[in-house]
Amino acid sequence: MDALLIIAAWTGLAALAAWGMQRQAGATAPLAAPFLGGGTPDTHAWQRYHFRPYTMALVFIAFEMEMMFMYPWAVVFVREGAKALAEMGMFLGILSVGLLYGWREGIFRWQ
Amino acid sequence: MSWLRTLAAGAAAPIYPSIGAGMLAEVEQLFASAPGLRRAASPRDAALLLVAGDIPAEARPALDRLHDQLPHPRRTLAWKAGEPSTQISARLNEAWRDLAHGAPSEPDRLPDEPPNPWRGIGPHGQGGKGMMGGTPRGRPMAMTGADIRDGLELDRYTARVGPFAPMLPPGLTLELTLQGDVIVEAHVLSLPFPQPEEADLPALCAARMLRLLGLEGAADRMTRGHAPRAAWIRGAVPAGLGAWPGAGDARDRLDAWLSGRQEGGAPRDPARALPGLEWHEATLLLASFAPGTLRRALAEAQDLQEIPA
Repeated sequence: MDALLIIAAWTGLAALAAWGMQRQAGATAPLAAPFLGGGTPDTHAWQRYHFRPYTMALVFIAFEMEMMFMYPWAVVFVREGAKALAEMGMFLGILSVGLLYGWREGIFRWQ
Repeated sequence: MSWLRTLAAGAAAPIYPSIGAGMLAEVEQLFASAPGLRRAASPRDAALLLVAGDIPAEARPALDRLHDQLPHPRRTLAWKAGEPSTQISARLNEAWRDLAHGAPSEPDRLPDEPPNPWRGIGPHGQGGKGMMGGTPRGRPMAMTGADIRDGLELDRYTARVGPFAPMLPPGLTLELTLQGDVIVEAHVLSLPFPQPEEADLPALCAARMLRLLGLEGAADRMTRGHAPRAAWIRGAVPAGLGAWPGAGDARDRLDAWLSGRQEGGAPRDPARALPGLEWHEATLLLASFAPGTLRRALAEAQDLQEIPA
């Protein structure tokens, strides 16, 4: 019940703060214009552009999957011994083939 | 609330300088050495607009737009050539104290109208019909064009930057078409304002590049005439950027300035080198030429364009 009251109080405070800030946001058109050092834009700033680092994101996911497997593996490693080591070696081997392929395709070059 | 006002008045005065002809070096010296002044990176961060030197008539509308972008309370101060920097520094500090203690703000110079009428127009109030036909907030949506690197059709954003952009030489106005942060097209609309010889001093030129690299402290030390105290600065400039026959690349020119030498070679048509560069590279490239050299090179390129082939 206490937790519910605290959450309700915080929600109320946040709503009040948002309401207070909203009045300050009522800027005139010249005050709200985008800053271009005195210049003017032709179009709205909303635009779609080429997000280049998605290959980097794929490499990140490869490493993350590796870490997800390593946590449970570390728990059973002492009990399983050499078998677990061999399994992890195979897993890392397969992953590193993917990385080598990516390297050949040039994903580590920033472009 | 008076203790809040006292605290605010004690902070460094946030100032956006709009630099006119002949005052570049003096403004840089002012911010590097005068106490209690802070050079704001954008007018949104500033309370005082410092108009240094003479602003030509064609840059006046841009100055009005800049003035209106400062949030309230705001004040404009003019710094004419010949006024000593100690005096302007005292005036700036006084104006900041006044503003913090509730002095009246300056009203907008431009009318409170959106660039195009849009309110209540169209089926969803977006200012037009269809997905790309609207003008939300009074501006049309960007249209697509081929990316210069791989031909992917994505939005092109065209805008004029300058003449008071902090990352460009004062007076330079560029009409840029961008895709993301890559420059696709660049045209020079107005040349940098003429500056005296002392703006071309190696220490000041190096300080400008350091400021673009985010090394504010090192840049201020450089401007005051000390060593920058930052390790391996040259590595922060991409190798091969802005390479010109006889002038080396941007990294070489920074090296020369850091060791106190004037750079020698002048570029031919620097604006033609901008397409294909990312925005930060383009600003670094332009800062890697002394203001006098850059102005001459841009003026020559403009003269060549005006003569029909």
